[in-house]
Amino acid sequence: MNIYESFKVAIGSIFANKLRSFLTMLGIIIGISSVITIVSIGQGGQSAITGEFEKIGVNIVEIKVDSNTSLTKKDYFTTKDVELVKTRIKEVKNAAPFFQQIGIIKTEKSQKRAVFMGTNSDFNKIYKLDILYGRFLSEKDVLAKRPVLVIDNISAKKLFGYEDCVGKTIKIGNNEKLIRALIIGVYKNENGALAASFAENMPIFSYIPITLSESIFEKTFNINQIEVLLENTKDSDLVAKNIIRLLESIHHNKDKYKAENLVKQLDQVNRILGIFTAVIGAIAGISLIVGGIGVMNIMLVSVTERTREIGIRKAIGARRRDILVQFLIESLIISLIGGIIGMMLGILAAFAIGSFLNLAPKVSITTVLIAFFFSSAVGIFFGIYPANKASKLDPIEALRYE
Amino acid sequence: MIRLENLVKVYSTGKIEFEALREVNLEVKEGEYLSIVGPSGSGKSTLMNILGCLDRPTRGRYFLKDVDVSSLNDDELARIRNREIGFVFQAFNLLPRLSALENVELPLIYAGIPYSRRIKMAKEALEKVGLSDRLHHKPNELSGGQKQRVAIARAIVLNPSIIMADEPTGNLDTQSSIEVMKIFQSLNDEGATIIMVTHERDIAQHTKREVRIRDGRIVEDKTVQNRVVY
Repeated sequence: MNIYESFKVAIGSIFANKLRSFLTMLGIIIGISSVITIVSIGQGGQSAITGEFEKIGVNIVEIKVDSNTSLTKKDYFTTKDVELVKTRIKEVKNAAPFFQQIGIIKTEKSQKRAVFMGTNSDFNKIYKLDILYGRFLSEKDVLAKRPVLVIDNISAKKLFGYEDCVGKTIKIGNNEKLIRALIIGVYKNENGALAASFAENMPIFSYIPITLSESIFEKTFNINQIEVLLENTKDSDLVAKNIIRLLESIHHNKDKYKAENLVKQLDQVNRILGIFTAVIGAIAGISLIVGGIGVMNIMLVSVTERTREIGIRKAIGARRRDILVQFLIESLIISLIGGIIGMMLGILAAFAIGSFLNLAPKVSITTVLIAFFFSSAVGIFFGIYPANKASKLDPIEALRYE
Repeated sequence: MIRLENLVKVYSTGKIEFEALREVNLEVKEGEYLSIVGPSGSGKSTLMNILGCLDRPTRGRYFLKDVDVSSLNDDELARIRNREIGFVFQAFNLLPRLSALENVELPLIYAGIPYSRRIKMAKEALEKVGLSDRLHHKPNELSGGQKQRVAIARAIVLNPSIIMADEPTGNLDTQSSIEVMKIFQSLNDEGATIIMVTHERDIAQHTKREVRIRDGRIVEDKTVQNRVVY
């Protein structure tokens, strides 16, 4: 008997017991649909989190001087290093030096504590500050060591009573040295309301050219950090290593630098979420096994019920293999149809729950293929025992069966 | 066509051994119309099962068309049952979900005959038993006699060497029995070899040769006198 005939026979007997076949399928339907739902939502969550991370920049790498090692002045970065990192490593899109120092800001009326962050124009290409008024530091500001600064809107309000203070002149520096500087830009403080409520105690965060920072804070000045924006998130670990190797070769040292990367944290979050999805998926998978046992149970009943049919088929020439294939295909079809229905229900449920959670579920081809594969595997696995039992029936005994 | 040599069948259930057939020797030639007669428990069903290749002898040899069938494996036996033997049972043994035509098609499916030829052969077989107008009826829509005629069509559709009939009229009324026996007779007239197991004398009276069996032994082997011919 060929496969086509076996399919015809199997479909015939499935339709002969519609309700029973459907109830048997239900186990598979529930199993497959719950696995699909959970996996789709889990993967949707993962890609949502990845998107969230990408927005804040997973392709940013921070190269830091490791303060846990013994350091000399020579080990700290220079603005030249920053240029080399940007030009020598092709995966690097932008690079900015970073040095921060606490100092004071003085207006005609008041004096406030301030954090001066020395950097260059690339910094804003990396972190993309929301500039409300004026502009961020430019290359010329840095090259010419211009006495300019960019402050946040909350500080602006604190200092002047209004946000748009571009063009105002204030004094910046420390207790030893104060210089006049021009406010060229106001950026939006992302902490907004929270920062505002602590406004009185919070220092003012301002950006100044790295060169200016060097001349004001010459005693403490050390570039201990380089901000790097990569072209993409691929191989960020490797690129970070290359950057460090480059810096080590410039400074003739070893193991003094470290790289911090959001990708690592993203990987970790995704791994945790992945484990979470896998565990719940596996629990749902148990229902698939229960469904498979249901298939086996019904196939055993079917074999017993059709003992006489098996006897007749054997008497007129069916080989053991023919009987085996016939029953195997029957359980395969039940599981496959159950699997397909379960898949559709699972996808529907994933989208329904997803819209409820405001999360786009992700149904990958892999998930669908795995579901397809698993339901057929369940069908074959749980069908083998009954089918084998059927094929081994003695034709004489089977013909005598009432 | 058939040669049995010292055929023995022993059934053992635990400690008890039961010899259903003891040293049976029998020869059946092509075109014979033979009945195996005996009371229940005489071993005639066992003999029938072995002749029909549903069962294997414990000892002795069974040659079917000069092939020693007793040495064949399950798949080879299935092929013999499919190609060389046509079964007609007392209880008809049709598959209830299939139509008359589909039931007759079954042996052809297992023989691997393609669809169009299969349909043609099945229709011809049903025509031969006079059921051309019942092709698409299910067994439960047919009378007992019609069911048995479908079974006969199924038995002859592959033109087997032997037709084995086990009490073919046992579940039929007189009129249907006559119809069925008429078909067997005409099949034999066309050259078919038929072996019929029965315990009814008047059924045996339709055949040409009567083999009487008792306690697992052939006790009589005679040509039927005053044969009933329709």
